[in-house]
Amino acid sequence: MSLTPPQLTALRSLLDRIIPADDFPGALTAGTDTYVLRHLLGDCTEEAHALLLGLTQLDAETVACHGAHQTFATLLPTQQDALLADLAAARPMTPWPPQLPAAPWFHRLVELAHEGFYADPANGGNRDAASWGMLGYAPRTTPERAAP
Amino acid sequence: MTSDHDVIIVGTGLAGGILAGVLAEGGRRVLLLERGRALADSAIPGDHLRNHRLTLYGDNTTPEPARHPRVFIDAAGDPHTVLPHDARYQLNAFTVGGGARVWGMQAWRFHSDDFRMATRYGVPDGSSLADWPIGYADLAPFYERAEHEIGVAGDHAGTTHAPRARDFPLPPVPRSPSAEWLARGADRLGWRTFTPPLAVNTRPYLGRGACIQCAQCIGFACPTDAKNGSHNTLLPRALASGRCTLVTRAHASRIITDNSGQAIGVEYFAPTTTDSATLERRTARARTIIVSSGAIESARLLLLSASPLQPHGLGNHSDHLGRHVQGHSYPIAYGLLPPDVEPSLLGPGVSVATTQFNHGNPGIIGGAMLANDFVKLPLIFWRQSLPPDTPRWGLANKRAMRDLFRRGIDVRSPVQEIPSPDSRVALDPAVRDTFGLPVARLSGTTHPETVRTAEFMRARAEEWLRASGAERVWSWPVEKKFSAGQHQAGTCRMSADPRDGVTDPFGRVHGHDHLFVCDGSLHVTNGGFNPALTIMALAFRTGEHILASP
Ligand SMILES: Cc1cc2nc3c(=O)[nH]c(=O)nc-3n(C[C@H](O)[C@H](O)[C@H](O)COP(=O)(O)OP(=O)(O)OC[C@H]3O[C@@H](n4cnc5c(N)ncnc54)[C@H](O)[C@@H]3O)c2cc1C
Ligand code: SF4
Repeated sequence: MSLTPPQLTALRSLLDRIIPADDFPGALTAGTDTYVLRHLLGDCTEEAHALLLGLTQLDAETVACHGAHQTFATLLPTQQDALLADLAAARPMTPWPPQLPAAPWFHRLVELAHEGFYADPANGGNRDAASWGMLGYAPRTTPERAAP
Repeated sequence: MTSDHDVIIVGTGLAGGILAGVLAEGGRRVLLLERGRALADSAIPGDHLRNHRLTLYGDNTTPEPARHPRVFIDAAGDPHTVLPHDARYQLNAFTVGGGARVWGMQAWRFHSDDFRMATRYGVPDGSSLADWPIGYADLAPFYERAEHEIGVAGDHAGTTHAPRARDFPLPPVPRSPSAEWLARGADRLGWRTFTPPLAVNTRPYLGRGACIQCAQCIGFACPTDAKNGSHNTLLPRALASGRCTLVTRAHASRIITDNSGQAIGVEYFAPTTTDSATLERRTARARTIIVSSGAIESARLLLLSASPLQPHGLGNHSDHLGRHVQGHSYPIAYGLLPPDVEPSLLGPGVSVATTQFNHGNPGIIGGAMLANDFVKLPLIFWRQSLPPDTPRWGLANKRAMRDLFRRGIDVRSPVQEIPSPDSRVALDPAVRDTFGLPVARLSGTTHPETVRTAEFMRARAEEWLRASGAERVWSWPVEKKFSAGQHQAGTCRMSADPRDGVTDPFGRVHGHDHLFVCDGSLHVTNGGFNPALTIMALAFRTGEHILASP
């Protein structure tokens, strides 16, 4: 399985809206795209195919709503959010692949993004424990050395 | 067949490890078979996506999960082949030490009425509710042994639901500020709370260090070996005796019986050499055989051991084997701490409980203990604990995580289930494991009385949070579903009369002189508490009984 360049661009823009940066890092700063990509290309190939089709459909959806000169990545954040809200509410403008309709597709990506972002850094989507720092969570599993 | 052993134990979970210790120290030569690996704590990964609290894509102990499926029958009767990380699989843990390698350590004695549910409440239609053939007094000395030899930290004066002769060996876990806040809320309701018993080294004990209150406890191994189980107590004692041989990656496939139907040995698959990937079929013989593989696999092994004399499985003379599966229905109420209550992100986390509602609830059968939850992983909080109207994505979700992660609190309750004969473990006719053996097929659902009790406890959990001053309180209706999981029990229930169960009151399979079952399978009912201390007490008791038997 591999992504086309437009799919990759759409994925990154999508993740940037699912977990945007504010005063704290968002999905892209934390490397969550790496986690999601690793998942799509490795772990779980069965669903990967349908998820990738959805990325292409996301651009088709964008064209249907905003015209042929646009892709999801070129929309303004507010436009992107509005389009995603419609998908989340199962109100797509275009016909989505029957094996993964718009709303479940979006919810699954929302899930994958947060998995990567809030999991341990070793899973690749929470670089430098960025999300944990934001929450004030630290596992502290290293035993301190006993006092001499 | 070799016969270098007096006893073969199948499984080294909490029960198997205790049996090994008691029997080896008592002079018996013990062969311990464990299908999992012996993992150092450091070899159990701290993976937040693959652990025994959240098994999204796997867990952190199961060897070769894909080779050991189970079949789950859904409410419509359709079969699903499921792997260990799927909730429908009802996983505990397959490794030396069993579930206790990664457990939450709540170490509860059952209430005396938990052993006499049918007498106290009558038998609801469609249920197989029954009394245990033993009572609290029979187990009390063994509860005490488990508390001292495994190591339980608790509040002796406060833990009053079950009479106690001796203090805990370890002081109770520290109370978090949010637990103090809950305790004050309970005071306002007139409910009595106390610090619950946990099998954790709150100070160094039995040669190991103390808990450092890390924030990654339940579902994971312990960084200081302060998480107590049989793997770091009775099992090392067994091995130190020089009379116990532990074989890991050894998967028992059948109990061998002789022409008279008596158990004489165990057939198992084990690596040809310690690290080899190649497994060979072996047999071992011993006078006494103990099946201690957890309620699902113990029942499966007895079913797999059918013989011409016992064509429906060993111990299945009265069609109880594999039935009456129980776990706990687990209602949860969620809330938000007021901003002025200092949050706590320290493990283990459970530090306030009440046993006010275990029995005596008008119009309700049984009840349950209520306690606050373990320290939470961020991802688990994201999945389960945000208020239901929180947007699931975007800045609003991120802000909610930031604002609420340290303010989330929940109260949960292991509700005593009303057993049903239709909740069961059977052998699947089609799906086989890597050895070609039929896998466990799980079917059935919650008895309606369990749902009623669970709904009652859900309301108490909400009431507790409200009285404490939670800013918001919410919960989800109790669902009917097949229930076993980490608290699996009931599949080889003990009974005085062979017609009523699989084993006698000591776990000896009816009609067999030297074949025993010892784990949650024996539980006739599973209490309104986490079950492991009862499993441990039964293991001490069965071990001593075997030592004392001619
Ligand atoms: C994350 C987690 C948290 C928990 N928290 C708590 C808690 O706070 N309080 C509580 O009371 N309980 C808790 N439990 C449950 C507790 O761990 C179990 O009740 C306990 O482990 C049961 O002990 P057991 O000896 O009956 O079975 P297990 O611990 O399941 O051990 C059975 C062993 O048998 C082995 N086995 C199975 N089949 C075979 C075979 N055919 N051949 C060879 N070996 C075999 C398995 O690999 C396993 O090691 C928790 C469990 C988990 C996973
Ligand atoms: S909270 Fe304590 S007992 Fe639990 S894993 Fe951390 S150090 Fe061990």
